[in-house]
Amino acid sequence: MDTQHNKDDFLQLIEHNKGIIFKICHSYCPNKNDREDLAQEIVYQLWKSGHSFNASHKFSTWMYRIALNVAISFYRKEQRASNTIAFTEMCMDVEDKADSNLETEANIHLLQQFINELKELDRALMILYLESKSYAEIAEILGITETNVATKINRIKEKLKEKFLTHNS
Amino acid sequence: MEDIELQSLWQAYDKKLEESKLLNMQSWALNMQCFEDLQKQKAKSKLNRLLPQKFWLIIAGIAWVLFLVFLVVHSLTFSKIAFAVSIGMIALITTIAIVLYIKQVVLIKQIDNSESVIDVQEKLSLLQASTMLSARILFLQSPFYCTWFFTPTWIMSGDWGFWLIAVPIALAFAYVSIWLYRNINDKNMDKKWFKFLFGSAEWTSVIKAKNFIEEIEAFRQDKV
Repeated sequence: MDTQHNKDDFLQLIEHNKGIIFKICHSYCPNKNDREDLAQEIVYQLWKSGHSFNASHKFSTWMYRIALNVAISFYRKEQRASNTIAFTEMCMDVEDKADSNLETEANIHLLQQFINELKELDRALMILYLESKSYAEIAEILGITETNVATKINRIKEKLKEKFLTHNS
Repeated sequence: MEDIELQSLWQAYDKKLEESKLLNMQSWALNMQCFEDLQKQKAKSKLNRLLPQKFWLIIAGIAWVLFLVFLVVHSLTFSKIAFAVSIGMIALITTIAIVLYIKQVVLIKQIDNSESVIDVQEKLSLLQASTMLSARILFLQSPFYCTWFFTPTWIMSGDWGFWLIAVPIALAFAYVSIWLYRNINDKNMDKKWFKFLFGSAEWTSVIKAKNFIEEIEAFRQDKV
């Protein structure tokens, strides 16, 4: 991937997948100022790992693996900052734009908050589930069995539902 | 809250991001000039820098050990017994650290972010745990720097300087190095002495690596 054409293709892929890169950055980077660094690091690692992409595999599997690996490593280095800052910042980010559906907006904030409270690996699992990835693809991205994926997702979903119930009661 | 609602919320989050144009935060990524700069900037990333650093440390370490072994071989006499034992122990401890450094280089070479999340995170954590172990082991050689100049003549002379200064200093170093070896772990990371030794943020994830390895294993085995 060293020609101008390849660079353009690559940047198009990034443009197409920027949503997930952004959400992963938000889920693993509590500090707003560091979030851009993380996004840059993910894009750079995607570019650098271009040679390892095997066309027989799904592009998304390859991309999620790199993005999550970079984000988890980044998060573990930056763990000094508290999650509370992250939630507040995230809420402020989205609240900048008014929305008529206040309940949905509040629930989005809660979902972000509850996901950020999960452990690093559970968080990755849940992001992939919410991105509607199949159990088989989640298992391939994370490196665990499909049965394990199913069991964990059910357990985490229950936890999330419980948290929503507790919060709304 | 049903499953479908969780996923709908996540999709609503997507929509929200688009609407709020927050994604422009990544606009640099879409700018070719920025991307070129980014490539230059990141070419010397931390892991990339770590490899030559460790490589040269291994080379220097091997040269140092060979020199120490040379000294030991040429001082195997009764009069230089303390010197031979001290230098021999320093060489042995340095050799263990070199072996750990070689393992770390192998691990760094094996790390490929496009492998599964569990495999990559496990390798990174093993690398960090190994870095911590080599730091702990290197502390163990400090008392031997206080004993290499001991001689049987000095020991048997009854010199007060030996028994009241040299021996207590060597014992103090031995005590501190063993204590550090046993206490440098995540349980003590909030203590003042620990922050003094490993104050930089770089060490935070290194110290917590052991816990994360256990967490990864539990995740793989589906333990709660």
